[in-house]
Amino acid sequence: MDPFISITLAVFLPFLLAAAVPAVEKLIKHKVGWFASFVALVSFLLVVSLIPLVMHGEHFQASVEWIPSVGVEYSIYVDGLSILFGIIITGIGIIIMSYSNGYMGHKEDLPRYYQWLLLFMGSMLGMVFAANTIMLFIFWELTSITSFMLIGYWRNRPESVYGATKSLLVTAAGGLFMLAGFIVLRSITGTFDIPTILQNEMLIQAVRGHELFLAALILIFIGAASKSAQGPFYIWLPNAMEAPTPVSAFLHSATMVKAGIYLVARVHPIFSGTDAWFILISGTGIITMLVAGFLAFRQIDIKALLAYSTVSQLAYIMTMYGYATYQEPGIGVAAATFHLLNHATFKACLFLVAGIVAHEAATRDITRLGGLRHEMPITFIIATIGALSMAGVPPLNGFLSKEMFYESSLEMGHALGSPFTFIIPALAVAGGVFTFAYSIKFIAAIFLGKRPEKGLPSHIHDPSFVMIIPAAFLAGLIILFGLVPSIAVQNLVEPTASSIMMETQHLHVKLWHGLTGSLVMTLITFLLGIAVYTRYDSIAKWQNSFNRKYPFISINYIYDGLVNNAKDTLKGFSSFMQPGPVRRYVLALLFLTIVLFAVPFLKLSAGFIPTLNFDVAPYELLVFFFMIIAALGAAMLPKYLPAVISLSALGYLVGLLFIYLSAPDLALTQVLVETLSTIIFLLAIVRIPQTFKERITPSLFMRDALIAVSVASMVFILLINATQGIIPPFESLSYYFIEKTLPLAGGHNIVNVVIVDFRGYDTLGEISVMCLAALGVYNLIHSRGESE
Amino acid sequence: MNNTLLSLVIAILFGIGTFLILRRDIVRVIIGLSIISHAVNLLIVSAGAFSGKDVPIITHNEVVPTNTIFSDSLKNGVLAPLLNGTEPTHFVDPLVQALVLTAIVISLATTAMIIILAYRIHEEYGTTDIQKLKRLWG
Repeated sequence: MDPFISITLAVFLPFLLAAAVPAVEKLIKHKVGWFASFVALVSFLLVVSLIPLVMHGEHFQASVEWIPSVGVEYSIYVDGLSILFGIIITGIGIIIMSYSNGYMGHKEDLPRYYQWLLLFMGSMLGMVFAANTIMLFIFWELTSITSFMLIGYWRNRPESVYGATKSLLVTAAGGLFMLAGFIVLRSITGTFDIPTILQNEMLIQAVRGHELFLAALILIFIGAASKSAQGPFYIWLPNAMEAPTPVSAFLHSATMVKAGIYLVARVHPIFSGTDAWFILISGTGIITMLVAGFLAFRQIDIKALLAYSTVSQLAYIMTMYGYATYQEPGIGVAAATFHLLNHATFKACLFLVAGIVAHEAATRDITRLGGLRHEMPITFIIATIGALSMAGVPPLNGFLSKEMFYESSLEMGHALGSPFTFIIPALAVAGGVFTFAYSIKFIAAIFLGKRPEKGLPSHIHDPSFVMIIPAAFLAGLIILFGLVPSIAVQNLVEPTASSIMMETQHLHVKLWHGLTGSLVMTLITFLLGIAVYTRYDSIAKWQNSFNRKYPFISINYIYDGLVNNAKDTLKGFSSFMQPGPVRRYVLALLFLTIVLFAVPFLKLSAGFIPTLNFDVAPYELLVFFFMIIAALGAAMLPKYLPAVISLSALGYLVGLLFIYLSAPDLALTQVLVETLSTIIFLLAIVRIPQTFKERITPSLFMRDALIAVSVASMVFILLINATQGIIPPFESLSYYFIEKTLPLAGGHNIVNVVIVDFRGYDTLGEISVMCLAALGVYNLIHSRGESE
Repeated sequence: MNNTLLSLVIAILFGIGTFLILRRDIVRVIIGLSIISHAVNLLIVSAGAFSGKDVPIITHNEVVPTNTIFSDSLKNGVLAPLLNGTEPTHFVDPLVQALVLTAIVISLATTAMIIILAYRIHEEYGTTDIQKLKRLWG
């Protein structure tokens, strides 16, 4: 199949079939999860079928025009990087959706759950295959929205809503920064198309030499960091653990949080090798790795522990992508890519274990768990494999990529020279030590030790096959990638690294590679890790007491302050802007209109003396006089009925005046309409008893009179000046109608022809308004009594 | 050129209408809106009456005013430039009349709508005082 069609299908099938989920649910009830898994499987196969296409670092691109005027296209780009992500997204997607069949109770709102999962998967796929930055941005924000719906799936829980809102605010806002970065990039390169930049050495050099280089890099990185929970933006991820556990496994181990990594890898060829790149990416990465790894200690929720470990592991990957110097632009690329894949396997596996434990033991609190190894032997084995892989223990895949992390840290330190030769590897080991300690804690807290006396259900057992098999499958992958790394390396990591480096890469990853510096570092890590683990509880206690003493040294504290303050400020602002009484709105509007009109008109008419024309026939004068009397009557007569009659007198006088203004059609219409509206007015008014009479105090009268006089003067000035050439003459359309009425429309009455012919659609709109008003009136009258 | 007295009358109507829409009694507000819509219609029509005196109805087939001002060149994107200072046509402007014709009819619709609304407000809340309708403040 044509790659373009394959990818388009893979991306949009989940979107289309998500719409079918409710119907399928009617048909096969709670088995609808298998339908979703099947959709993921189809997308997976479509993506896998493209592996041969990119095996040796080739790429494929195709596009259709979307908004050609601004260079926005529906454009897909297939290379090793996007294929790797596509496989992780769809592969973990299959596993998660199958697992959900066991995890989600039959009483849950399953269609909504699977719909959003599928939409999320489609958005992620669309994002990684997008070649156009605008398209990438759209899918990027779609993942923010869909993940918001998934994290907030249990919408009755305040914690879910809090977590979902937080993740949306942080990631969607970050996406806007990224968009700004893309626009800066476009202003430098003149294109929204990423491959165009990647394949053009001149453009890349232009970007690097440009004064906006740093702006583009920082803006794009803020987007990546917010999505991948790096730096201060990590705060959304722990709260997002309120999601159903399969969602956490999908979003927060394998897909959504990897979007930022993807972005960094995608723009790697453009920005990497510069000092700014290393300081920003690796600097943020190292700090996040250490802080998040350290903060994991005080978590008592197993999912929160995994969340912090995810932040820390993502930071590893970020750090490695940041490792680049001008001479050696790709020191950490292969290692980062391999770790990315491995992290997806072991973290998803651990999340699934957490889900199993929560499902069977009804708690995720590590202080209430323990000693479950006898009751859940299979889960215990799977968890051990996952956690040891995360800790970097051979022969599992986590060991391999951890080794590569250390190796690249050594290389980077060496490339930078003293004193970094020592500092960077030391920091890397420190990160590894924390990881080792909390990985052991994860197993120990749940499965080892003594079973608590109370608080746990009496019968705990391994879950059904539906839940155990996906987790076991991932554990199998962990071992497979560990023992035979070439499967993953040759098919996935090499093409990805090649596409990032823009040249073919060959990697040699072996389980045993001799006594190297990195192996020594690993041994140090294990020793220190065991040492730290023995002090685990006291470190956690210290962290808790520190947090109690200084609650304000926390990014969450700032976030809550900002969001709560925003609520209060907005409340104050809106109660100022929308005080309630209509009169104040009218006042504000009138005031603004006067200012907006008066200022330019006074400016324009300065020094201009308008010619006044008092030449009126006596009967016209009479009409004017009666009009003012009628208007005053409508305003001042205390009873409604006389006032309304006075108003209708004014209407007829206006009709009369239209005749003097050479507008016979208007005069006719005015008389007819006035008759109708008088009838309606009278019909309604006789049913409104006049109970209320406003007391107009002198000060109120003065104020309102002042406004009225200002408005009147404004109108007067406008009329006097507008018709005397202060406003420059412009081309009037009227003459077209005068000339064309007869030849084109065959009518003599120009006004009529304009109404029914030239501006026929206008009249159609007018008729619609009349119909709507009639319907509205009818409904208003007939809605009586229904509220009781 | 406009008649100054007519302009003055229109301005006074505007003033009276403005004063009325600042009232608390909803019926007065509606009356004020009606007066203002009359004033607006007059304003627009009178602004179009400056260039000629005749009713915009072509009486004889041959009286299609084709003189120099109609440089009807669609190619240049210009339909009919009005040259400053020339006397282009003896008709008043038909376009503003067509617009106001629509406006008059629409104002009937809105007036009918709000007067019934006022009637229903009175029925539901027993008052025509806008200030008292706090439930509708939102």
